[in-house]
Amino acid sequence: MELLKAIAARDEAALAQLYDRYRVILFGLLMRILNNREEAEDVLQEVFLQVWRKAEDFDEERGRPFTWLVTLGRSRGIDRLRTLASRERVAEAGARDAVEEISDAASDAFRSEQRGLVNKALAQLPDEQKRPLMLAYFDGLTQSEIAMRLDAPLGTVKTRMRTGLMTLRELLAGQGESFGF
Amino acid sequence: MVHEDYKEMIPARALSALDAAEERALNEHLENCDQCRKELEDWQATAATLAVVADPVEPSPKVRERILSEVRKELATPEVIPFRSTSRNVWRSFGSLGAMAAVVLLTALIVGLIVIWRENRAIKEELARTREFVQLATTPGAKTNELKGVDLGAGATAKFAYDKTGHAMLMADNLPSVPRGKAYQLWFIVGKNPPMPGKTFSPDSAGNGVVIDQMPKEALDSAIFAITLEPEGGVDKPTGQIYLRSFEVN
Repeated sequence: MELLKAIAARDEAALAQLYDRYRVILFGLLMRILNNREEAEDVLQEVFLQVWRKAEDFDEERGRPFTWLVTLGRSRGIDRLRTLASRERVAEAGARDAVEEISDAASDAFRSEQRGLVNKALAQLPDEQKRPLMLAYFDGLTQSEIAMRLDAPLGTVKTRMRTGLMTLRELLAGQGESFGF
Repeated sequence: MVHEDYKEMIPARALSALDAAEERALNEHLENCDQCRKELEDWQATAATLAVVADPVEPSPKVRERILSEVRKELATPEVIPFRSTSRNVWRSFGSLGAMAAVVLLTALIVGLIVIWRENRAIKEELARTREFVQLATTPGAKTNELKGVDLGAGATAKFAYDKTGHAMLMADNLPSVPRGKAYQLWFIVGKNPPMPGKTFSPDSAGNGVVIDQMPKEALDSAIFAITLEPEGGVDKPTGQIYLRSFEVN
Protein backbone atom coordinates (compact mmCIF):
# COMPACT_ATOMS: atom_id res chain seq x y z
CA MET A 1 0.00 0.00 0.00
CA GLU A 2 2.70 2.41 1.09
CA LEU A 3 4.78 1.34 -1.88
CA LEU A 4 2.02 2.28 -4.30
CA LYS A 5 1.61 5.65 -2.62
CA ALA A 6 5.36 6.22 -2.94
CA ILE A 7 5.26 5.16 -6.58
CA ALA A 8 2.39 7.57 -7.21
CA ALA A 9 4.68 10.22 -5.72
CA ARG A 10 7.30 9.31 -8.38
CA ASP A 11 9.56 7.31 -6.07
CA GLU A 12 11.72 5.20 -8.37
CA ALA A 13 13.14 3.17 -5.48
CA ALA A 14 9.61 2.19 -4.42
CA LEU A 15 8.94 0.84 -7.91
CA ALA A 16 12.16 -1.15 -7.76
CA GLN A 17 11.09 -2.56 -4.40
CA LEU A 18 7.65 -3.48 -5.70
CA TYR A 19 9.26 -5.15 -8.70
CA ASP A 20 11.63 -7.14 -6.53
CA ARG A 21 8.75 -8.31 -4.39
CA TYR A 22 6.37 -9.37 -7.16
CA ARG A 23 8.48 -10.09 -10.24
CA VAL A 24 8.60 -13.83 -9.68
CA ILE A 25 4.88 -14.31 -9.09
CA LEU A 26 3.94 -12.05 -12.00
CA PHE A 27 6.52 -13.47 -14.36
CA GLY A 28 5.44 -16.99 -13.43
CA LEU A 29 1.85 -15.99 -14.21
CA LEU A 30 2.86 -14.44 -17.53
CA MET A 31 4.96 -17.46 -18.46
CA ARG A 32 2.03 -19.71 -17.69
CA ILE A 33 -0.22 -17.59 -19.92
CA LEU A 34 2.19 -16.92 -22.77
CA ASN A 35 4.70 -19.75 -22.49
CA ASN A 36 7.25 -17.54 -24.21
CA ARG A 37 10.02 -15.91 -22.22
CA GLU A 38 10.56 -13.00 -24.57
CA GLU A 39 6.86 -12.11 -24.74
CA ALA A 40 6.41 -12.60 -21.01
CA GLU A 41 9.35 -10.31 -20.20
CA ASP A 42 8.01 -7.70 -22.56
CA VAL A 43 4.59 -7.81 -20.88
CA LEU A 44 6.18 -7.79 -17.42
CA GLN A 45 7.94 -4.56 -18.38
CA GLU A 46 4.67 -3.08 -19.68
CA VAL A 47 2.90 -4.01 -16.46
CA PHE A 48 5.40 -2.30 -14.19
CA LEU A 49 5.54 0.76 -16.40
CA GLN A 50 1.76 0.88 -16.20
CA VAL A 51 2.00 0.59 -12.42
CA TRP A 52 4.44 3.51 -12.48
CA ARG A 53 2.09 5.61 -14.57
CA LYS A 54 -1.18 4.56 -12.97
CA ALA A 55 -0.27 4.06 -9.31
CA GLU A 56 -2.31 7.10 -8.37
CA ASP A 57 -5.39 5.36 -9.80
CA PHE A 58 -5.10 2.58 -7.21
CA ASP A 59 -7.99 2.85 -4.76
CA GLU A 60 -7.28 1.00 -1.54
CA GLU A 61 -10.99 0.89 -0.77
CA ARG A 62 -11.63 -1.08 -3.92
CA GLY A 63 -9.23 -3.93 -3.30
CA ARG A 64 -5.86 -5.12 -2.17
CA PRO A 65 -2.70 -4.08 -3.99
CA PHE A 66 -2.01 -7.77 -4.69
CA THR A 67 -5.33 -8.08 -6.50
CA TRP A 68 -4.77 -4.88 -8.43
CA LEU A 69 -1.30 -5.89 -9.53
CA VAL A 70 -2.19 -9.46 -10.47
CA THR A 71 -5.39 -8.41 -12.25
CA LEU A 72 -3.40 -5.88 -14.23
CA GLY A 73 -0.68 -8.42 -15.06
CA ARG A 74 -3.09 -11.14 -16.08
CA SER A 75 -5.16 -8.75 -18.16
CA ARG A 76 -2.05 -7.63 -20.06
CA GLY A 77 -0.92 -11.20 -20.47
CA ILE A 78 -4.28 -12.35 -21.87
CA ASP A 79 -4.38 -9.31 -24.17
CA ARG A 80 -0.96 -10.25 -25.52
CA LEU A 81 -1.99 -13.88 -25.88
CA ARG A 82 -5.03 -12.89 -27.90
CA THR A 83 -2.94 -10.55 -30.01
CA LEU A 84 -0.46 -13.23 -30.76
CA ALA A 85 -3.23 -15.75 -31.23
CA SER A 86 -0.59 -18.21 -30.26
CA ARG A 87 -2.56 -20.99 -28.82
CA GLU A 88 0.11 -23.39 -29.94
CA ARG A 89 1.79 -23.26 -26.63
CA VAL A 90 2.59 -26.47 -24.86
CA ALA A 91 -0.08 -27.09 -22.30
CA GLU A 92 1.91 -29.37 -20.07
CA ALA A 93 3.55 -27.24 -17.45
CA GLY A 94 6.20 -29.89 -16.85
CA ALA A 95 7.45 -29.58 -20.41
CA ARG A 96 8.45 -25.96 -20.08
CA ASP A 97 12.04 -24.84 -19.94
CA ALA A 98 11.08 -22.17 -17.49
CA VAL A 99 10.56 -24.67 -14.72
CA GLU A 100 14.28 -25.14 -14.28
CA GLU A 101 14.63 -21.41 -13.89
CA ILE A 102 12.51 -21.18 -10.79
CA SER A 103 14.16 -18.57 -8.65
CA ASP A 104 15.40 -18.91 -5.14
CA ALA A 105 12.50 -16.72 -4.21
CA ALA A 106 10.23 -19.61 -5.05
CA SER A 107 11.42 -21.29 -1.91
CA ASP A 108 10.37 -18.29 0.08
CA ALA A 109 8.18 -19.65 2.84
CA PHE A 110 5.62 -16.91 2.56
CA ARG A 111 5.10 -17.45 -1.13
CA SER A 112 5.07 -21.22 -0.71
CA GLU A 113 2.40 -20.82 1.88
CA GLN A 114 0.24 -18.88 -0.55
CA ARG A 115 0.68 -21.53 -3.21
CA GLY A 116 0.01 -24.25 -0.73
CA LEU A 117 -3.24 -22.66 0.37
CA VAL A 118 -4.57 -22.18 -3.14
CA ASN A 119 -3.42 -25.56 -4.39
CA LYS A 120 -5.02 -27.20 -1.37
CA ALA A 121 -8.29 -25.39 -2.05
CA LEU A 122 -8.19 -26.26 -5.75
CA ALA A 123 -7.54 -29.90 -4.88
CA GLN A 124 -10.87 -29.94 -3.14
CA LEU A 125 -12.70 -28.81 -6.26
CA PRO A 126 -14.09 -31.43 -8.58
CA ASP A 127 -12.16 -31.48 -11.86
CA GLU A 128 -15.28 -30.46 -13.74
CA GLN A 129 -15.25 -27.16 -11.79
CA LYS A 130 -11.49 -26.69 -11.69
CA ARG A 131 -10.88 -27.06 -15.43
CA PRO A 132 -13.18 -24.21 -16.51
CA LEU A 133 -11.49 -21.97 -13.95
CA MET A 134 -8.01 -22.83 -15.21
CA LEU A 135 -8.98 -22.47 -18.86
CA ALA A 136 -10.51 -19.06 -18.19
CA TYR A 137 -7.75 -17.74 -15.95
CA PHE A 138 -4.62 -18.96 -17.70
CA ASP A 139 -5.80 -19.45 -21.28
CA GLY A 140 -8.10 -16.46 -21.44
CA LEU A 141 -10.97 -18.51 -22.86
CA THR A 142 -14.54 -17.26 -22.62
CA GLN A 143 -17.34 -19.45 -21.32
CA SER A 144 -18.47 -20.23 -24.87
CA GLU A 145 -14.94 -21.22 -25.88
CA ILE A 146 -14.61 -23.39 -22.80
CA ALA A 147 -17.91 -25.07 -23.60
CA MET A 148 -16.60 -25.90 -27.05
CA ARG A 149 -13.25 -27.03 -25.72
CA LEU A 150 -14.84 -29.32 -23.13
CA ASP A 151 -17.69 -30.29 -25.38
CA ALA A 152 -20.16 -29.34 -22.66
CA PRO A 153 -23.36 -27.28 -22.73
CA LEU A 154 -22.74 -23.56 -22.20
CA GLY A 155 -25.20 -23.39 -19.30
CA THR A 156 -23.41 -26.23 -17.57
CA VAL A 157 -20.04 -24.53 -17.98
CA LYS A 158 -21.43 -21.28 -16.56
CA THR A 159 -22.81 -23.06 -13.52
CA ARG A 160 -19.63 -25.06 -12.90
CA MET A 161 -17.43 -22.01 -13.24
CA ARG A 162 -19.53 -19.97 -10.85
CA THR A 163 -19.78 -22.81 -8.35
CA GLY A 164 -16.05 -23.48 -8.57
CA LEU A 165 -15.10 -19.87 -7.89
CA MET A 166 -17.62 -19.65 -5.04
CA THR A 167 -16.17 -22.78 -3.45
CA LEU A 168 -12.66 -21.44 -3.84
CA ARG A 169 -13.68 -18.22 -2.15
CA GLU A 170 -15.21 -20.11 0.77
CA LEU A 171 -12.16 -22.31 1.14
CA LEU A 172 -9.82 -19.32 1.12
CA ALA A 173 -12.03 -17.24 3.40
CA GLY A 174 -9.98 -15.76 6.21
CA GLN A 175 -6.74 -16.23 4.26
CA GLY A 176 -6.99 -12.86 2.57
CA GLU A 177 -4.11 -11.40 4.55
CA SER A 178 -1.81 -13.88 2.86
CA PHE A 179 -2.36 -12.11 -0.42
CA GLY A 180 -1.84 -8.57 0.73
CA PHE A 181 1.46 -6.72 0.92
CA MET B 1 -32.23 -8.55 -17.57
CA VAL B 2 -32.76 -7.83 -13.90
CA HIS B 3 -30.25 -7.20 -11.13
CA GLU B 4 -30.05 -10.89 -10.18
CA ASP B 5 -29.17 -11.84 -13.75
CA TYR B 6 -26.25 -9.44 -13.74
CA LYS B 7 -25.17 -10.62 -10.31
CA GLU B 8 -24.88 -14.19 -11.61
CA MET B 9 -22.55 -13.02 -14.37
CA ILE B 10 -20.08 -11.37 -12.02
CA PRO B 11 -17.86 -14.40 -11.16
CA ALA B 12 -17.32 -15.06 -14.87
CA ARG B 13 -16.60 -11.37 -15.39
CA ALA B 14 -13.91 -11.58 -12.69
CA LEU B 15 -12.27 -14.29 -14.82
CA SER B 16 -12.80 -12.22 -18.03
CA ALA B 17 -14.75 -15.20 -19.33
CA LEU B 18 -17.92 -13.46 -20.49
CA ASP B 19 -18.68 -13.25 -24.17
CA ALA B 20 -18.42 -9.77 -25.63
CA ALA B 21 -22.16 -8.99 -25.65
CA GLU B 22 -22.61 -10.17 -22.04
CA GLU B 23 -19.59 -8.18 -20.90
CA ARG B 24 -20.90 -5.02 -22.57
CA ALA B 25 -24.30 -5.44 -20.91
CA LEU B 26 -22.77 -6.09 -17.50
CA ASN B 27 -20.38 -3.16 -17.81
CA GLU B 28 -23.33 -0.86 -18.47
CA HIS B 29 -25.09 -2.23 -15.40
CA LEU B 30 -21.94 -1.81 -13.28
CA GLU B 31 -21.85 1.87 -14.08
CA ASN B 32 -25.07 2.34 -12.13
CA CYS B 33 -24.90 -0.42 -9.51
CA ASP B 34 -22.59 0.08 -6.55
CA GLN B 35 -23.54 -3.27 -5.06
CA CYS B 36 -22.49 -5.21 -8.17
CA ARG B 37 -19.30 -3.17 -8.47
CA LYS B 38 -18.37 -4.10 -4.93
CA GLU B 39 -19.22 -7.71 -5.63
CA LEU B 40 -17.00 -7.70 -8.71
CA GLU B 41 -14.10 -6.43 -6.62
CA ASP B 42 -14.58 -9.32 -4.19
CA TRP B 43 -14.69 -11.88 -6.98
CA GLN B 44 -11.61 -10.37 -8.59
CA ALA B 45 -9.74 -10.82 -5.32
CA THR B 46 -10.65 -14.51 -5.33
CA ALA B 47 -9.70 -14.91 -8.99
CA ALA B 48 -6.35 -13.21 -8.36
CA THR B 49 -5.36 -15.92 -5.90
CA LEU B 50 -5.13 -18.31 -8.85
CA ALA B 51 -2.02 -16.44 -9.96
CA VAL B 52 0.07 -18.13 -7.29
CA VAL B 53 -0.75 -21.52 -8.78
CA ALA B 54 1.59 -20.76 -11.66
CA ASP B 55 5.16 -21.89 -11.09
CA PRO B 56 7.26 -18.96 -9.95
CA VAL B 57 9.82 -18.00 -12.60
CA GLU B 58 12.71 -15.55 -12.36
CA PRO B 59 12.74 -13.00 -15.21
CA SER B 60 15.99 -11.83 -16.78
CA PRO B 61 17.74 -9.05 -14.78
CA LYS B 62 17.55 -6.99 -17.98
CA VAL B 63 13.81 -6.48 -17.46
CA ARG B 64 14.42 -4.63 -14.19
CA GLU B 65 17.10 -2.53 -15.88
CA ARG B 66 14.80 -1.68 -18.79
CA ILE B 67 11.94 -0.68 -16.50
CA LEU B 68 14.09 1.56 -14.33
CA SER B 69 15.81 3.05 -17.35
CA GLU B 70 12.42 3.94 -18.84
CA VAL B 71 11.28 5.40 -15.53
CA ARG B 72 14.39 7.59 -15.32
CA LYS B 73 13.75 8.82 -18.83
CA GLU B 74 10.20 9.75 -17.86
CA LEU B 75 11.38 11.46 -14.72
CA ALA B 76 13.70 13.55 -16.85
CA THR B 77 10.74 14.60 -19.03
CA PRO B 78 7.74 14.52 -16.70
CA GLU B 79 5.47 16.41 -19.06
CA VAL B 80 5.18 13.44 -21.42
CA ILE B 81 3.98 11.02 -18.75
CA PRO B 82 0.29 10.27 -19.16
CA PHE B 83 -0.79 10.19 -15.53
CA ARG B 84 -4.50 10.78 -15.85
CA SER B 85 -7.24 8.44 -16.85
CA THR B 86 -7.86 7.94 -20.56
CA SER B 87 -11.20 9.71 -20.66
CA ARG B 88 -9.88 12.80 -18.96
CA ASN B 89 -6.81 12.74 -21.15
CA VAL B 90 -8.91 12.59 -24.30
CA TRP B 91 -10.74 15.75 -23.35
CA ARG B 92 -7.57 17.38 -22.16
CA SER B 93 -5.97 16.48 -25.46
CA PHE B 94 -8.83 18.12 -27.29
CA GLY B 95 -8.39 21.16 -25.07
CA SER B 96 -4.68 21.20 -25.66
CA LEU B 97 -5.16 20.73 -29.38
CA GLY B 98 -7.64 23.58 -29.42
CA ALA B 99 -5.25 25.80 -27.52
CA MET B 100 -2.40 24.79 -29.80
CA ALA B 101 -4.51 25.45 -32.88
CA ALA B 102 -5.46 28.86 -31.50
CA VAL B 103 -1.81 29.68 -30.82
CA VAL B 104 -0.83 28.51 -34.31
CA LEU B 105 -3.61 30.57 -35.90
CA LEU B 106 -2.76 33.62 -33.83
CA THR B 107 0.92 33.25 -34.66
CA ALA B 108 0.11 32.84 -38.36
CA LEU B 109 -2.10 35.93 -38.19
CA ILE B 110 0.59 37.99 -36.47
CA VAL B 111 3.26 36.77 -38.89
CA GLY B 112 0.93 37.53 -41.81
CA LEU B 113 0.25 41.04 -40.51
CA ILE B 114 3.97 41.65 -39.99
CA VAL B 115 4.71 40.45 -43.54
CA ILE B 116 1.97 42.67 -44.97
CA TRP B 117 3.09 45.59 -42.84
CA ARG B 118 6.70 45.09 -43.93
CA GLU B 119 5.73 44.70 -47.57
CA ASN B 120 3.56 47.76 -47.30
CA ARG B 121 6.38 49.70 -45.66
CA ALA B 122 8.87 48.46 -48.28
CA ILE B 123 6.55 49.49 -51.09
CA LYS B 124 6.03 52.91 -49.51
CA GLU B 125 9.78 53.34 -49.06
CA GLU B 126 10.39 52.25 -52.63
CA LEU B 127 7.76 54.71 -53.87
CA ALA B 128 9.24 57.48 -51.74
CA ARG B 129 12.73 56.81 -53.10
CA THR B 130 11.48 56.63 -56.67
CA ARG B 131 9.57 59.90 -56.18
CA GLU B 132 12.69 61.44 -54.70
CA PHE B 133 14.80 60.16 -57.60
CA VAL B 134 12.29 61.46 -60.19
CA GLN B 135 12.16 64.86 -58.47
CA LEU B 136 15.93 65.03 -58.48
CA ALA B 137 16.23 63.86 -62.08
CA THR B 138 13.62 66.40 -63.26
CA THR B 139 15.17 69.31 -61.47
CA PRO B 140 16.25 71.94 -64.04
CA GLY B 141 19.89 71.29 -64.96
CA ALA B 142 19.92 67.76 -63.48
CA LYS B 143 21.70 64.93 -65.22
CA THR B 144 21.16 61.17 -65.21
CA ASN B 145 23.34 58.23 -66.04
CA GLU B 146 23.07 54.50 -66.08
CA LEU B 147 25.41 51.96 -64.50
CA LYS B 148 25.68 48.36 -65.69
CA GLY B 149 26.85 45.28 -63.85
CA VAL B 150 30.28 43.90 -64.66
CA ASP B 151 31.97 40.67 -63.64
CA LEU B 152 30.53 39.63 -60.28
CA GLY B 153 27.86 42.32 -60.60
CA ALA B 154 26.57 41.01 -63.94
CA GLY B 155 22.80 41.38 -64.02
CA ALA B 156 22.78 44.37 -61.71
CA THR B 157 21.82 47.83 -62.92
CA ALA B 158 21.67 51.27 -61.37
CA LYS B 159 20.40 54.75 -62.17
CA PHE B 160 22.31 57.76 -61.10
CA ALA B 161 20.93 61.33 -60.95
CA TYR B 162 22.36 64.60 -59.65
CA ASP B 163 21.51 68.24 -59.79
CA LYS B 164 23.84 71.10 -60.53
CA THR B 165 24.71 71.50 -56.85
CA GLY B 166 26.10 67.96 -56.76
CA HIS B 167 23.25 66.48 -54.76
CA ALA B 168 23.25 62.93 -56.12
CA MET B 169 21.21 59.80 -55.77
CA LEU B 170 21.92 56.25 -56.94
CA MET B 171 19.28 53.50 -57.13
CA ALA B 172 20.66 50.01 -57.78
CA ASP B 173 18.84 46.75 -58.54
CA ASN B 174 19.88 43.09 -58.47
CA LEU B 175 23.10 43.59 -56.60
CA PRO B 176 24.60 40.50 -54.97
CA SER B 177 24.27 40.47 -51.18
CA VAL B 178 27.33 41.68 -49.36
CA PRO B 179 29.43 39.51 -47.04
CA ARG B 180 29.58 40.39 -43.33
CA GLY B 181 31.86 43.40 -42.77
CA LYS B 182 31.60 44.55 -46.36
CA ALA B 183 29.60 47.24 -48.19
CA TYR B 184 29.30 48.71 -51.64
CA GLN B 185 31.01 52.04 -52.17
CA LEU B 186 30.35 54.70 -54.78
CA TRP B 187 33.29 56.19 -56.72
CA PHE B 188 33.66 59.25 -58.89
CA ILE B 189 36.34 58.95 -61.54
CA VAL B 190 37.46 62.02 -63.43
CA GLY B 191 39.90 61.51 -66.28
CA LYS B 192 42.99 59.65 -65.23
CA ASN B 193 42.87 60.96 -61.70
CA PRO B 194 42.56 58.61 -58.76
CA PRO B 195 38.89 57.67 -58.04
CA MET B 196 37.21 59.90 -55.48
CA PRO B 197 35.36 58.04 -52.72
CA GLY B 198 31.63 58.35 -52.22
CA LYS B 199 29.35 56.86 -49.57
CA THR B 200 28.87 53.22 -48.78
CA PHE B 201 25.58 51.29 -48.79
CA SER B 202 24.24 47.79 -48.42
CA PRO B 203 21.46 46.39 -50.61
CA ASP B 204 18.31 44.82 -49.14
CA SER B 205 17.52 41.14 -49.47
CA ALA B 206 16.16 41.74 -52.99
CA GLY B 207 19.45 43.34 -54.06
CA ASN B 208 18.05 46.87 -54.15
CA GLY B 209 20.27 49.61 -52.79
CA VAL B 210 20.05 53.36 -52.52
CA VAL B 211 22.68 55.87 -51.71
CA ILE B 212 22.38 59.66 -51.52
CA ASP B 213 25.61 61.57 -51.70
CA GLN B 214 27.19 64.91 -52.38
CA MET B 215 29.40 64.78 -55.45
CA PRO B 216 32.83 66.31 -55.46
CA LYS B 217 32.86 69.50 -57.53
CA GLU B 218 35.47 67.97 -59.85
CA ALA B 219 32.99 65.32 -60.96
CA LEU B 220 30.13 67.66 -61.83
CA ASP B 221 31.21 68.27 -65.40
CA SER B 222 32.79 65.03 -66.45
CA ALA B 223 33.05 61.73 -64.59
CA ILE B 224 32.49 58.02 -64.58
CA PHE B 225 30.60 56.45 -61.68
CA ALA B 226 31.46 53.04 -60.26
CA ILE B 227 30.49 50.76 -57.40
CA THR B 228 33.02 48.46 -55.72
CA LEU B 229 32.83 46.10 -52.80
CA GLU B 230 34.83 47.45 -49.88
CA PRO B 231 35.23 47.20 -46.11
CA GLU B 232 32.04 48.32 -44.34
CA GLY B 233 33.29 51.72 -43.23
CA GLY B 234 34.52 52.62 -46.71
CA VAL B 235 38.02 53.32 -47.95
CA ASP B 236 39.84 56.23 -49.57
CA LYS B 237 41.16 54.22 -52.49
CA PRO B 238 39.28 51.37 -54.16
CA THR B 239 40.54 47.94 -53.12
CA GLY B 240 37.71 45.67 -54.24
CA GLN B 241 36.33 44.53 -57.51
CA ILE B 242 34.01 46.75 -59.58
CA TYR B 243 30.38 45.54 -59.58
CA LEU B 244 28.73 48.42 -61.44
CA ARG B 245 29.98 51.23 -63.59
CA SER B 246 28.82 53.83 -66.05
CA PHE B 247 30.26 53.75 -69.54
CA GLU B 248 29.23 57.17 -70.78
CA VAL B 249 30.93 60.14 -69.40
CA ASN B 250 28.28 62.54 -68.13
